[in-house]
Amino acid sequence: MINTVEKIYQDTPSGDIQIIYKVTYSDNKSWFCNEDKGNRHYQEILEWVENGGVIVDNGA
Amino acid sequence: MAITRLGPNQDITAAKIAGQINFKNLIINGDMSIAQRGTSTSGITGTGVFVVDRWNIDEVADSTLTMSQENLSSGNAYNNGFKKSLKVLVTTADTSLGSTQSVQLMQKIEGQYLQYLNFGTSNAKNLTLSFWYKSNVTGIHTVCIDKSDSTRATCPLEFTVSSADTWTKYTLNANANAVVQGSTATIDNDNGTGFRVMWGLAYGSNYLSGTSGTWEQNGTGSFSTSNQQNIVGAVNNYVELTGVQLEADTSASDFEFLPYDVNLRRCQRYYTRIARTGGDYAYGWGWLYGTTGGNFAIPVSTPMRIQTPSVSVIGTSFAIYSNGTKQNGSTMGTIAWESNTYVIGLNTGSLSHSLDKHTASLNNASGTPSGMEFDAEL
Repeated sequence: MINTVEKIYQDTPSGDIQIIYKVTYSDNKSWFCNEDKGNRHYQEILEWVENGGVIVDNGA
Repeated sequence: MAITRLGPNQDITAAKIAGQINFKNLIINGDMSIAQRGTSTSGITGTGVFVVDRWNIDEVADSTLTMSQENLSSGNAYNNGFKKSLKVLVTTADTSLGSTQSVQLMQKIEGQYLQYLNFGTSNAKNLTLSFWYKSNVTGIHTVCIDKSDSTRATCPLEFTVSSADTWTKYTLNANANAVVQGSTATIDNDNGTGFRVMWGLAYGSNYLSGTSGTWEQNGTGSFSTSNQQNIVGAVNNYVELTGVQLEADTSASDFEFLPYDVNLRRCQRYYTRIARTGGDYAYGWGWLYGTTGGNFAIPVSTPMRIQTPSVSVIGTSFAIYSNGTKQNGSTMGTIAWESNTYVIGLNTGSLSHSLDKHTASLNNASGTPSGMEFDAEL
């Protein structure tokens, strides 16, 4: 069960900003995932948001 | 062993080679021998929990479960070559299921592995599911093959546990019918989920409209049948499973045991980990850029299912060495390399350095244990 999701802005070697998400579950385990709809953690985040979850976004 | 000389035009066909491995089993790790994450997890609520590789539990009720890999030392499954099993134990019961609640033990199968089944055509193949099973709960249990691509089609299969706490082999048929021969039953030829094979530990009333052994297009309504039992309805109820094989045929063949290394590598397409206890040892190499970034390549034994698997840091941090300095990091994302590359690209942020364009190594931080996990499960 998801506890928190944080949006992280990360520099890349090409100079672009990479968006990653840190998702932390009720057992305190955290995963970093990209915005990839084939990624099960990202799918879970989308579902969590749909059900009212709010992503922590501290900006770039 | 006797060797027979073949005469002219006597080809060595598959049928002439006994005991061959041909990857007929659509299930991965059906003998439950691989458990990279550990051998037991307790307090399970929620979805997507794995212990034995490739097998996950979705607990969408009010129960609490423990899932474990068990060592077998006796019984009919053991006597047929199975040394490990997967066990789900109820530690908090849910005696009153809501209509939309469910508890399912399942394996998901990629659509691209299922193309030869010809679903969506008149040549759709029959399927046979065989497995060894044990439970303290007697009576009818169910497993469902769920084809979720295109228009969902489901085939629930009932089987009866006659003797409590006794390993029994079950062979169940899911024969093709007009539903899976119809054009709306195609399976996408991709790396997404094509099938879910789901043992139903509990289903609310919304899921019980199915007919055993019959493919139907009824949304999620036919995951199970009206004979479904609530196995999570009492503490200490359990189910135990091993020797799972799903094959395109009308009868079950002997379980296809794979060598340990082959089985492990098949599992590592979906999950792999690099970890050790103590010491600063390198497991990847790369370079630092700018003032906060690092970019690394981690070699893996097999390309993972998706190009950007999730990453989890085991322990609290990882270490980066460059130009005689060390610092710990804790944040990272994956960088997509081309498909089928035996490397995972990592991009680490939140560092602080003045080592732009210096080579660097990515190390496990001192501690017990430390390392990284990569997850590309369905």
